[in-house]
Amino acid sequence: MPVKLLIQLSWRNIWRHRRRNAILVSAIAVAVTGVMLLNTMMRGMQQDLRNTAIENLTGHVKILEPGYLHDPGIERGFDILEGWQNTLPDHVAGWASRIRVPGVIMSERGTRGIQLVGIDPARESISFLGQAEVAGDRLSGPEDSRILIGGLLAEALDTAAGRRLVLVTQGADGRTREAGFRIAGVYRAEIAGLEKAFVFTGLAALQRLLGTDKITEISIRLDDEDRETSTIAALAETFESRAVASWRQLEPQAAAMVEVSDVTIYILFVIVMGALTFGLVNTLVTAVMERLRELGMLRAIGMRPRAVVAQVVVESTVIMAIGVAAGLILAWCVFSFVADGIDLTAFDDSLASFGMRPTFVPVFDIRDVALIAVLSLALSILASFYPARRAVKIKPLEALRR
Amino acid sequence: MERVVECRDVGRTYDDDAVPVHALRNVDFDLAAGEWVSLAGPSGSGKSTLLHVIGGLDQPTAGSVVVDGVEVTALATAQLSDLRLNKIGFVFQAYNLIPVLSALENVEFILQLQGLDRAERRSRSRDALHSLGLADVEHRRPGEMSGGQQQRVAIARAIVTEPVLLLADEPSANLDTSTTRELLEVLQTLNRERGVTILTATHDPMVMGYTSRQVNLRDGKVVRDDS
Repeated sequence: MPVKLLIQLSWRNIWRHRRRNAILVSAIAVAVTGVMLLNTMMRGMQQDLRNTAIENLTGHVKILEPGYLHDPGIERGFDILEGWQNTLPDHVAGWASRIRVPGVIMSERGTRGIQLVGIDPARESISFLGQAEVAGDRLSGPEDSRILIGGLLAEALDTAAGRRLVLVTQGADGRTREAGFRIAGVYRAEIAGLEKAFVFTGLAALQRLLGTDKITEISIRLDDEDRETSTIAALAETFESRAVASWRQLEPQAAAMVEVSDVTIYILFVIVMGALTFGLVNTLVTAVMERLRELGMLRAIGMRPRAVVAQVVVESTVIMAIGVAAGLILAWCVFSFVADGIDLTAFDDSLASFGMRPTFVPVFDIRDVALIAVLSLALSILASFYPARRAVKIKPLEALRR
Repeated sequence: MERVVECRDVGRTYDDDAVPVHALRNVDFDLAAGEWVSLAGPSGSGKSTLLHVIGGLDQPTAGSVVVDGVEVTALATAQLSDLRLNKIGFVFQAYNLIPVLSALENVEFILQLQGLDRAERRSRSRDALHSLGLADVEHRRPGEMSGGQQQRVAIARAIVTEPVLLLADEPSANLDTSTTRELLEVLQTLNRERGVTILTATHDPMVMGYTSRQVNLRDGKVVRDDS
């Protein structure tokens, strides 16, 4: 039986019971809208978690000395290879080498444990520091021996740009190093925890203080996230004796949350659309029972059983397709109102504990549209199985006698 | 003359109830090309059952039924569908048109099942409708037509495939006298001018009056055949 004829017949049959089918299509549309909007939220949350993890000095990929993650310190530094950056793939957006050591910072008002990070400021466009607001001066270069501290740390130590603070850390020789630093500026970060944790100074200045010319990490940011694995493989060849780790390994909690939300999206979809499938089955069974005589006549004049099955399947698919299309359009319309972001500053503290920013930006992912379309199609075929079986079991003669 | 239908020792017994019901018993019946035969008899005599067995809508429990050289009892479900689609035209008591399609589309539908191209479908469907005086209603749906018009559309659908056999089960049951006469005139024209072989099951004397031969059944047996 020609597909065009099947679609034409199914389309007209749907209009035959327009009220009933309109209710069903509306239910599918509302469900798809809900699922799609929830997906945009989940995708937004995933992106936020991923970006936060990556911008939190991690990058997509990081090169470290093996064991540094479990026991960070200057003794796990390494020499940077001459011309290593020439081996970087084209899709690398930027890189930054740093030295990072634990330390203690002191003012007249208080003492705090911090991470002291030596940086080349020109290379930090790949981390949050590149976009952070700074009250006072930014660091001028790797030789700059002033420090940048976070706003919350400044408040805790009751200090400000231009004042001096004392830093204590361990040098490369294992002895304690203590030095006074002038505050060049006070930075603000979207994630509150960063402001409390990181104190930045020039890379060369910190190396001098620690008595070393080594670094502890190279952070790499990619243009194309999908090429993360191949980049890691390429870097592993260049840095044979180093650990080359992805952000997922370095930020396992964020990576796990991203994965969990992926699974949640599927589960949510199956639950909502699965429930609707029963509604579709009910409607199709009713439609088949109402048309027993007509289906019997079609069989009598020569329509093959498989064409009867195809008719029910196409009808189910057309109803689902209309509902899904309407739902996706509606979801897009609602999404366009909040596409620029939702202000969640009222929940800032709670969000910060999850590593999320106070402005939440939902993401309308075309892959979710494809996922919903494909799974809906599968469900509509599944839903039509039982009614189609009922339809094909109709004996033409019995149906005509009704 | 060439035989379109050959029934030999045909029996049909229904075992659905506790007591078997013999709807047909040892029926021998032939139908030659170009004939118009009426199967007559009271309700329960087996006339509709014989019509359905010949049309492949029901399977006999005994005997042999050959339609246009094909042994119907040996065919699988899909093959029976093809036989009905290509060799037999059906006119039902209750018209049984597809309500969501227009008259033209209803007639065209069966040609679509046969896989004909659009131009040929349209042309043949229009010819069939026009030959039955339905040019004015080709775009109307069944609900917008009278009973007589619907029955004529059903006839157009049945003959558009140029079947070897036209089966009509109580075609006048839902029609008034004047419409029945119009319908019978149409069938007579098809039979005489186009040579369409027709078999009708009826208990309407007016229908019997138009047919060239009458076969009477009673209790599932042929009791009279005026061939």
